[in-house]
Amino acid sequence: MAQTAPALVVEDIHKAFGPLEVLKGVSLSAAEGDVIALIGASGSGKSTLLRCINLLEIPDSGRIRLRGEPLEMTRDRRGQSRPANWRQVDRIRSRLGMVFQSFNLWTHMTVLQNVIEAPVHVLGKPKREVSEQAMALLEKVGIADKASAYPAHLSGGQQQRAAIARALAMEPEVMLFDEPTSALDPELVGDVLRVMRQLAEEGRTMIIVTHEMGFAREVSSEVIYLHQGRIEEQGPPEQVFGSPRSERCRQFLASHLSRDRNGPTAAAVAAVDQPTAS
Amino acid sequence: MLPDLRGYGWMLWEGLQLTLLVGLASLLLAILLGLLGAWAKLGASRIARGIAGTYTTVVRGVPELLLILLVFYGTPTLIQNTAARWGTPVYINLDPFVSGVLTLGFIYGAFATEVFRGAFLAVPPGQIEAARACGMSRHLTFRRIVLPQVWRFALPGLGNVWMVLIKATALISVIQLDELMRKTQIAVGATKLPFTFYFVASLMYLGITVASMLLQQRFEAMANRGVRRA
Ligand SMILES: Nc1ncnc2c1ncn2[C@@H]1O[C@H](COP(=O)(O)OP(=O)(O)O)[C@@H](O)[C@H]1O
Ligand SMILES: [Mg+2]
Repeated sequence: MAQTAPALVVEDIHKAFGPLEVLKGVSLSAAEGDVIALIGASGSGKSTLLRCINLLEIPDSGRIRLRGEPLEMTRDRRGQSRPANWRQVDRIRSRLGMVFQSFNLWTHMTVLQNVIEAPVHVLGKPKREVSEQAMALLEKVGIADKASAYPAHLSGGQQQRAAIARALAMEPEVMLFDEPTSALDPELVGDVLRVMRQLAEEGRTMIIVTHEMGFAREVSSEVIYLHQGRIEEQGPPEQVFGSPRSERCRQFLASHLSRDRNGPTAAAVAAVDQPTAS
Repeated sequence: MLPDLRGYGWMLWEGLQLTLLVGLASLLLAILLGLLGAWAKLGASRIARGIAGTYTTVVRGVPELLLILLVFYGTPTLIQNTAARWGTPVYINLDPFVSGVLTLGFIYGAFATEVFRGAFLAVPPGQIEAARACGMSRHLTFRRIVLPQVWRFALPGLGNVWMVLIKATALISVIQLDELMRKTQIAVGATKLPFTFYFVASLMYLGITVASMLLQQRFEAMANRGVRRA
């Protein structure tokens, strides 16, 4: 259907922190089922871009549309950009799932409580129904046996999979991942990547900030290389990884691919190909 | 082994109950003021921050006893004089219980403000972001994510506030509230046995403190359930 609006459109986002210009006009568009891998050196603005998309940071300018619905922005008296309607922001956020590098599970709740919290209290769904769906999600990410455990009793990989289940429970239209495996011990990375790959295969629209180049190449439909707040290279994975036009992107990939081949993540990427052990 | 209390034991027991009642009521007020104060200190409003800052400074700088006397004797006179000037004579007599609770709650609310301020800051910001990222409003995030964790971080500090507060209730005896301290003084006056009664009263205050410490341990264990690694 040519008429259907893309799942997510981001146009010309600018963001500065004081004098530091972090995003200098970034645009991207994710069609239904797209998996966009966002790569780039540390400090290039990847997290800031992701956080601008769900308004955890307020962009200084630019437009965001979710399934055609534009996010209304306005300016205060000093000319500072701000959302026109925080209710709309909350509503849009409830349609975007976010997975953080540091999991950010709510420590005073069990895993199951973490997963049902937002569907019950934000969407107002009945607890019984949500709990059943939540158990199915925990089953899917492989930690159903941890449903009544508290986050502090879980390994990093289990916590991150719980966080993914928490995001999925909202039935989001787009999932945002900010380096979901960077805080994990190497041997736990594979479990999380396996779950993410499954989501990609199911046709979920996802934007993934990652340093796992092997994973990005295999799973993504588009790769965006960010350099100092601008998109320097963009295209299908075969092109970006195979024959990048930008010299900087080539160097970045060279250093990261060699690290992938020799470093601990090589094992993790290999583990993705194994059938699920548990 | 029990000392002979010459029939005044029951009176001390009544005083102890009133002490606990004044203490708990003051603590409740202190917690409310503390939450409000911490909210003001951490909020965006410069005016609210100014008021909260003045509040904690004033309490730190003025002796507790003076504040108690000021509230109990000072405010009725002030109100009466002001009303008289406007031509409407009123007569106000503050209840010692009410003014005692108001004063102690006001004083220890300042300490609770600092306790809650620290506790709010101790809630990991990432957890708050995660809540906002799923579409939880500021209000919902506060109620469901921040507040339940604030108790955990505030409990040790609140425990300290309570132990100091309960001893400070003895000061209210100066405005004739029949709490434990004043009942003790009455018993001493009647029996001329100062050591016996002051000693028994000391044991009673100590008993409250010990019981409070045990209770606090229970509360902290409950609040930390699941959070610390087993
Ligand atoms: N809240 C903030 N305040 C000030 N500077 C920030 C803030 N967030 C990020 N930055 C700066 O913006 C730049 C880009 O950061 P980030 O988006 O986290 O990069 P990346 O995720 O690609 O490593 C960095 O120089 C970082 O220090
Ligand atoms: Mg980052």
